[in-house]
Parts: sequence; C-alpha cells; structure tokens
Amino acid sequence: MPSPTFWSLVESSLTPSYTLAIIAIVLVLGGPIILHLILSNSTSYIIHPQVVLVGPDGVGKTSLMTLFERGDSPSQTHTSQKSHSVELNASTDSSSKYSYKNHEDTTGTHTKFLLIDTPGHGKLRNVAMERLIRCERLKAIVFMVDAAALGEPESLAPTASYLYDILLFLQKRASDKSNNKKNNTPVPVLIAANKVDLFTALPSTLVKTNLEAELSRIRSSRSKGLLDSGVGIDDVGSEEQDAWLGEYGSEKFSFKQMQEFEIDVDVLPGNITGDGPGAEKWWWWIAQRI
Amino acid sequence: MLDSFEIITTTGVVVWSRTYAPIKPSIVNNFIADTFIEEKSGSTAIQDSQSASVNPPYKNDQHTLKWTIVKELGVIFVAVYRSLLHLSWVDKLVDNIRTIFVSLYGDQLKKPHTTLVEFGTNKFDEYFDQQLHELDKASGIDASGVPEIQLNSNLNDEPLSAPSLTYRGRNISQGGLDATSNGSSPPDTPSASRPSTPSNNNLLVAKASPAARLSRRARKKNNANAPLLSSGDEGPGGRSKKAPKKGRKWDQDGLADEEDDVQLDYSAQTNPLSDSEAEATGRSSALEHVDSSTWGSTTKGKFVLKDLGDEVHDILASAEASQAASSKNGSKGGLIGSGINAVSGLFRNVVGGKTLTKEDLDKAMKGMEEHLLKKNVAREAAVRLCEGVEKELLGVKTGSFESINARIQTAMEASLTKMLTPTSSMDLLREIDAVTAPPVTSLRTRRPYVISIVGVNGVGKSTNLSKICFFLLQNKYKVLIAAGDTFRSGAVEQLAVHVRNLKELAAREGGGEVDIYQKGYGKDAAAVAKDAVAHAAHTGYDVVLIDTAGRRHNDQRLMSSLEKFAKFAQPDKILMVGEALVGTDSVAQARNFNAAFGSVRTLDGFIISKCDTVGDMVGTLVSLVHATNVPVLFVGVGQHYSDLRNFSVKWAVEKLLSST
Repeated sequence: MPSPTFWSLVESSLTPSYTLAIIAIVLVLGGPIILHLILSNSTSYIIHPQVVLVGPDGVGKTSLMTLFERGDSPSQTHTSQKSHSVELNASTDSSSKYSYKNHEDTTGTHTKFLLIDTPGHGKLRNVAMERLIRCERLKAIVFMVDAAALGEPESLAPTASYLYDILLFLQKRASDKSNNKKNNTPVPVLIAANKVDLFTALPSTLVKTNLEAELSRIRSSRSKGLLDSGVGIDDVGSEEQDAWLGEYGSEKFSFKQMQEFEIDVDVLPGNITGDGPGAEKWWWWIAQRI
Repeated sequence: MLDSFEIITTTGVVVWSRTYAPIKPSIVNNFIADTFIEEKSGSTAIQDSQSASVNPPYKNDQHTLKWTIVKELGVIFVAVYRSLLHLSWVDKLVDNIRTIFVSLYGDQLKKPHTTLVEFGTNKFDEYFDQQLHELDKASGIDASGVPEIQLNSNLNDEPLSAPSLTYRGRNISQGGLDATSNGSSPPDTPSASRPSTPSNNNLLVAKASPAARLSRRARKKNNANAPLLSSGDEGPGGRSKKAPKKGRKWDQDGLADEEDDVQLDYSAQTNPLSDSEAEATGRSSALEHVDSSTWGSTTKGKFVLKDLGDEVHDILASAEASQAASSKNGSKGGLIGSGINAVSGLFRNVVGGKTLTKEDLDKAMKGMEEHLLKKNVAREAAVRLCEGVEKELLGVKTGSFESINARIQTAMEASLTKMLTPTSSMDLLREIDAVTAPPVTSLRTRRPYVISIVGVNGVGKSTNLSKICFFLLQNKYKVLIAAGDTFRSGAVEQLAVHVRNLKELAAREGGGEVDIYQKGYGKDAAAVAKDAVAHAAHTGYDVVLIDTAGRRHNDQRLMSSLEKFAKFAQPDKILMVGEALVGTDSVAQARNFNAAFGSVRTLDGFIISKCDTVGDMVGTLVSLVHATNVPVLFVGVGQHYSDLRNFSVKWAVEKLLSST
C-alpha cells in the first residue's frame, strides 16, 4: 500500500526529531563545502603557464599568435585594442617538438600553455603592463620587434623605451624580496626579431647591439631627467625612485647585465610570412621555457 | 562599389574579409587607432551596436569607412569604399551583415582562448554576396526607377495560384514581404537583378569596376561569356528609353519580365520544359541551362541562390523579432515581477553579479560627474568621460561582491588613464640629443633644438621657461633664451633677471651655459624668434627657448600672429602653459591655441603650472587633454627652479579619483 507509507514518510519528515535535525544541519553546512570542493577541483581552476607577447604596434604580435594557433598560416590582422589569449600545446620530447604545427601530433607529452597577446599601441601600453602584472604563472615574455624598421631611429627609440619599461618591471619584480615566493620565479625574455625576410631587415646581432645602445642612452637620460609628479620630498633618492636598469653605474648597458637578476635575454630572428627562418626557433624557445 | 569589407575583433584578428580592390592595411589600422584608441572623433562616445549610419564615417584621403561595433562580442564591421562614390546602401549592408554574423557566429566569439571562428559549411560568403546583390540592386532600381514599375506590374498581374511552382511561389512571397517592409525593394530573383546591376555601375562610374565583375561572378560563377555581357551592357541603353523596353517585355503574357533578352541570347538552348503555364520557370530554367553548360553543375545552382535569399531574410527577420520581443519584455512585468526584480536587484547590489541597466547607472554616473566637476574638470570633459564609461558599462555584469560604484570607479580609472596616456612617450633630452648630435649615418646636419612657449596672460610662461632652462642647464646644454615678448613692459627685463640667476646657478654647479637674445620692445616677435634661431645655429647653442607674449585666446588679432610665429621660428616643440587654477575656460583656451598655428601645426604638449595651489583638484589637465588630445608633459609644483616634474598619469588619476 503505497499511499499510507508515503503519508507516514511526509509526516515523519515534518515531525521534529534529532535525526532529522542532524540530517538538516549536515545538508545545510556540508552542501556548500562539497560544492566548493567540486568546483575548485574542476579544470577551469587550473592555471596554465602563461607566455606574454609584448612589443610596439605593427610588429606582428597578433599575427604570431594566430600562426601558432592555426599552424598553417597566420590570419590577417589589424591594430589590437584588447589583450587576448590562446591555448596552445608545447612539448619538448615529441617528434614535432621544433614545430608549432603539432596539432595532430600524438607522440610525447604536451604541456598546455596560454599565449597572451597584448595591444602595442602607445596609449594602450598600460593595458599590456597590467596584463603582465596580473599573470599568475608567468613563464616567459616574448618581446617582438620589427627588425626591418629598427634601423630607423624613429622606430628604434619607442621600441627601446618600451623594452626598457618591461625589463625594469622584471628587474623590480626579481629584486623585490618581500613578494611571495610564487611571483618570484625569474622570467626569461625573448626578443623576437620579426620580419627578417624583408630586404631592410637587420640581422639579429645588429638588432641586439642597436637595442643595447639605445637602452644605455635611455638609461642615462632617465637618470638625468626630471622627477615624476607625485613624488614627494621624502621619496627623493629612495630605492623605488632610483631605477637603474642593469649593473648600477655601468657605462654601457648589455643584456648580460640582466643576469644579475636571473633574467635571461635572448635575441632570435624569424618571420611570420614570406621566406625565411620562419617562427620555429621562437616556438622551440617557448617550448623549452614552459 | 565596395573596395573591402572586413570583420575584425577588437583583439586585432580579422575574422572574415572580402576584398574587391586591394587597400592598404594601414587604412584600417589608422581607422582603429583614431576612432577607438585615440578617440579623435571627440565628443561622441562609441555606442554599442549602433547603426552604421549613425556612426560617423571615417574618411581617409581616398577612402570612406563605414563601421559598426558590437561591444559585447568585441567585433567591428568595416566597409571600405572610394570616397568618390556615394554608396547609400553601405550602411544597410554593414548593419545587415552585423545582424547575420552575430546571430550565426556570436557564440563562437565568446569562447575564451581561441581566435578561430568556424564558418561551418562556409555559407557566410554566400550570405554576404546575397546581401550585397540585394542592396546594390535595390539602390540601382531606386536610381533608375524603371525596373520598379516592372516589378509592381509583375506582382499585380501574377496570379497567386502560382505556388504550385516552388520557385515562383517563393518569389512572390518574398517580393510581397519586401513590398510590405519598404515598398520599393524588388523581388529577390537574381535573374532580375542582372541587368540592373551593371546599369547601376555604369551610372556611377564610367567603367564597370572589378567589384561589379566579381559580384556578377559570384552570382553566376563564371557565366561571363560574351552574349550575356553584351546583354548586360546594353541594359542601360535600353533602360534609358522606357517605352521600347516595356513593349518588348509585355508581349510575353505578362509573366516574363526583363530577362527575355537573355533568353533570346540563349534561345538555342531553351529548355523543352517551358510550357505555357510555366512561362516564368521556363525562363529561369533556360538560364539554368546556361549555367550548367558553362559551369557544369546541376540545376540546383539556381535554387541555392534563391534559398539563400530566404535564409538571409529569415535571419534578419528573426533577429528583428527577438529584438522587438526583448524590448517588449523589458517594458512589461506585472506587480509580482517588478517586486521580485526589486528584491533581487537589492540583493545583487550587495552580492554582485547584477547586470547593469541604464537606471542603475544613471544615478551613480550623476555622482561620478559631480565628483569630477568638484575636481575642477570642465563640464564638457566630465560629461564625455561619464558618457563613455556609461556606454562601456551598459549590460555589463558586476563581479561578485562588487558594488556598482566600485565598478564605475574602475571603469573611470581605465578611461582616465587611457585619455591621459600619450600616444608616444616623450623624452625631451633624447629628442634634443637626436637633433643637436644627429647620428653620422643620417643625413641631417646639426641644428639647435627650438622650444617655444605660449599661453594666456599670467599663467607662468616665463617662470616655466626658466624652469625648463634650469633643467637643461643641469644636463649641460648650451641654452639661448629669446625674449619674444616684445609687448608687455618689463617682460624682457624679467627674463634678463632669470638669465642672470640661472647663469650664476650654472656656474656654481658647473653646468651648461645660458644667454639671452633680445631686441627690445615693439619689434615683431616672429622676426625676433627667427633671428634668435639663426643666431643660435651660428654660434653653436644646443637649445633655443622662445618666450612669447601672453594673449587672450579669443582675441583674433593677437592669436593670428601665432601662425606667422610658427612659420618663422619653426619650433620643434610648441608647449602651452595652462594653469591648474583655471576652470571651464581651459577647454576653450586649449582649443584656440591648438588651432592658432595653422593647419599643419598643432601644440605638442602642455605644461600645467601652479599645481601646488590646487591640491587634488587637478581637473584642468583632463579638460586640456580632452579638448585637444595633446599630452601633458610637465607639471609645475612650486616656486623654485627645480619645481618642475614629469607628468605621471598614475599620479593624476589617483588625485582625480581620490574622495576627500
């Protein structure tokens, strides 16, 4: 007879008793905790390693991102206004480890990572910097430059000043001991000299020396420049304001000086479209750092 | 015709594009930079999902860009065409493509960590072509007027029992739908469009543009054989005289329309199927035969285009319907519904996760506007900032445990930072070095770096000039100060005192050298400046600082001399001194000074003086940047020579948003 049992069940569930009270308490208190455990263990909470693409505008950051994602050819791109990320798989032991065309590769172990593209326009540089600060598992920074335009001082100066900001940020990050351990891992920097297939492109050694020379120039002029507004009398001469990139007091800046802060800087040539070394070298560099 | 149509995400990836004539990518890049990043269009904030006809078109020297944006998905739709052509239908095309694209692929754009959009069976190309033809054709018919008559008579005469033939039936229903919607658009038979499209093109441009050719190809793939082309080309000739064309048309029992000339061309291939009651289908199937003979595909080719038209209209109609439904939903809601809404709204106010509506924002934005006005931001600039933030936040969900005010605060911070950040960073010393000691490889010769300072009376031009001079002297430059204020009595003497002091300071610190160049009073300031620059170049000074007379910005007589001044002295930098004390007038000041140097020259930067006297109320610099898009370079913070600071955006934003 189903109906009496049903009604008796309803009745017993509504009569106050200890068992019912305990069940209710367990449900009320335990439910959210279980839900939290389930949610926090789900995949969306796992943070992939992150690689950030920075650089001035028009050097091919978005293009590189789409090339890595698509594998065959980059998408057409225009000026970015927002940062964007794509999920990629890199591996150091598969048969296609040197190539980003590994979408169908099943050999070896692949590590998922996020490649984050940032806008390069001067007005949006703070967006890029903010993205950089927000990264929780920052593994590497790819600073892209246009090797074909770097011969011109008009292009070299803004590129170098952006690089200066990035390196200074990393240096402060590395030397900031008070920071928690997680954020303190050294971040290597790749200077990706793009567009080397073009006629006017500089070889990567020249890209490196040009940037180093310009960085020393910036460093010396910044040290002589005016203070920022907002700097109070008390802050003058303090550590925070006294930003000197690399070895203090050295005449010439070189990327080697960054090793003092465990920041490795590599310069590798490549190109996204056209004939040339392609983007494989960059891919391999990234794959090794993840 | 269109040169290019592109669908771009705000992250910079071109999702889909169709190019008819190659255009430089820099055109679209400049458009993005000017419209979205630098917001040069000024007061009009970029609105979400606005029709392309409302958005101001971006004009390049040769091209016009019509655009619309869907902010939620971050997609921009841009159509590029030559400015010479007046294509009235481009707005509609951009809007329709936006609707289609968003309804078909909107979900894909929301996916994180990918830039790929799967187009599935690649139908979008066809949708686009269909829209292009339809709108192009519609405008062509509007222009010539004749085919429209044919259409109407065609519709009226046609017996509605025709639906037994699917082709014809669809034709009618669609034509009817169009006729009810806007009355003037034709039925969507691609065959009817053929003669009118070339005629339209021929009216607009002398020769058929490549785009016209391509659209025809897209319609019929490759039926561009000679007879058909000739029929298309003879179209305008026949159209111009209405009567004969009409007469020939109507002798076919009223069903056959303008296509009959094509049928004549292909009479040898006429389909045996064409019986008397299916005259129209006979005509169309004759055309299909043309297709199959040249193209080699089945007769389905014809019907694919037809179906496509319906599909596109379905998409557009359903999007419209859902929009109408959502607006209706918004307005309705009974007592209980509104009660629940109110309660959950209150709850979400605290917990977050609330979708912001205009009502929510209005009150909070009023508060923010008040706050900005209190910080001495000019009303115009404050309204623009608030409108921008409001547009940005409409429909946005607040984060967990985030109140509306906090959300607005962060959005305003981002907005202010973006506004105040200069497009290219300015390093004065490096620029001076580049001019005074040019690299050997460049072909430029050494010359002095010229800085001139302008501004309204009494804002501190001479004081800031001597501060800059002190800064340059510390960096061991040879500086010449030119007394360009030949008007106010005591101005030259004042500078001479500054120079005497600076000389002494420089000697004490072992810095650079400084001298004054003056020609007394009453001389033409522009001539004095020019002489000073020539003198400096001759005697090997590094930097020339030119002081000018203060002038009221709305005095035409005084302002007009600035243009001559800029031409004579050729300054590398023209800096305007604006005092932090001034209120709403700062906008007009900046605008007038920015415009005073003629069409080729603008201001290069601002010096905000007397910042120490206003505390947190540094709104003036926002007003100045809002009015001109010229960056702030220096900030004066005191009476001493050393009280000059580089402008820091972070500092300014902090001060502006601090609530005390």
